[in-house]
Amino acid sequence: MEENGTHERNAGIDVRASPQELREGLVTLLPRLRRFARALTRDAHDADDLVQIAVERALTRAGQLRPDAPLSSWMFGIVRNAWLDELRARGRRARLFAPAESGEQVGDASQGAHADLLAVQDALARLPEEQRAAVALVLIEGLSYKEAAHIMQVPIGTLTSRLARGREALQEMLGETTGALP
Amino acid sequence: MNFSDETLMAYADGELDAATRAAVEAALATDAQLAQRVARHRALRGRLRAALDPVLDEPLPERLLASVRGAPAQRHAANVVALQRAAAPRWSWPQWGAIAASLVGGALLGPLLLRAPAGGAVVTRDGQVLASGALARALTEQLASRQPPGAPVQIGVSFRASNGDYCRTFVLRGESALAGLACRGHEAWRLEVLAHNPAQPAAAAGYRPAGSALPASVARTLDELIAGEPLDAGAEAAARARGWQPAQITPGKTPPGAPAPPGPPRDPDH
Repeated sequence: MEENGTHERNAGIDVRASPQELREGLVTLLPRLRRFARALTRDAHDADDLVQIAVERALTRAGQLRPDAPLSSWMFGIVRNAWLDELRARGRRARLFAPAESGEQVGDASQGAHADLLAVQDALARLPEEQRAAVALVLIEGLSYKEAAHIMQVPIGTLTSRLARGREALQEMLGETTGALP
Repeated sequence: MNFSDETLMAYADGELDAATRAAVEAALATDAQLAQRVARHRALRGRLRAALDPVLDEPLPERLLASVRGAPAQRHAANVVALQRAAAPRWSWPQWGAIAASLVGGALLGPLLLRAPAGGAVVTRDGQVLASGALARALTEQLASRQPPGAPVQIGVSFRASNGDYCRTFVLRGESALAGLACRGHEAWRLEVLAHNPAQPAAAAGYRPAGSALPASVARTLDELIAGEPLDAGAEAAARARGWQPAQITPGKTPPGAPAPPGPPRDPDH
């Protein structure tokens, strides 16, 4: 299937890159990292915070980048782990402290025009995190099942069942109408 | 031929082996319903991409470009805090505005203690503020999970700080109306923060977890110090049995629910 083309699967960056090349690779990846983070967090500000943290972590740990792994997979993994850290911190705060208001997600009002983005992000936000990550990696980022499973550190069977469940839930939430299709 | 939804999904995603793909394609040619199910999978991908792809064309925020260029060591800590700050407005504190003064650090404790009829709950020694008397006893002996309802000191949350020390939040009942957080050193409980604890809106919102009765400064200190999750009743009892001294814990231990190490790196400073 074309959408899943290999051009998206691998940023094709030499992983033994010099620090300078790593930085260049990161700049090239930034738009996709932001898209991925936006699918995970829904909130644009949180998404950029997440990307920023991931970039910092990547630069401090360039040595952990494995020679056979594409930079994109490594970075998606770092973004997701940073998000899991944040979710844990929020969960802890929510348990320890009275939550401010029940609707913890507050959409950015400036996005009002992008109604479809909001509808999709609302639906994504209602998925369990593990399904959301699977959907984001495969359907939005166009990664193969194998790459997505590696990033999420789960067997492929687990990835496909999360993906199937996430897909089904999204189809129910978003309805069968696909008027937004180009 | 009947195909499972997962098979059709994998077909739509280009993930089937050649033989199964051929079988699906043969069936698709004659089975309109099957074709519709595949189309449904593809349409969802299209919808998601249509919604999120515009993010790719947004101008990159300068701060992200700066972080790629910047000195990583300096920025790392600052940015972790930044994310926490970004999230902070989401959990506001019911009494936030009601706190006249929240006192952080030993230097600011004096004036408060002079007024506080805390019955010698606190002493200063070598520039440190230490718990004493009834407060020290409660910190050492009282379990949060099993404390007498009328006790003058109520223990809130017990937890491990990121430096390994055991710390506990507490509320002093009675006129003194203080709340604070103390961490266990070798010989004594060191106060990290002590603050006024205005009257509790006890019946305000039904059930409120233990930590929610704390003044904001105490809660912030807790949030800054805590590593992982608060101790449950069993861990708390075990820590008390060890005299609140750090156990020899395997260094690489991750909190429950954390993804297992290999693969993408975990942050060691969490």
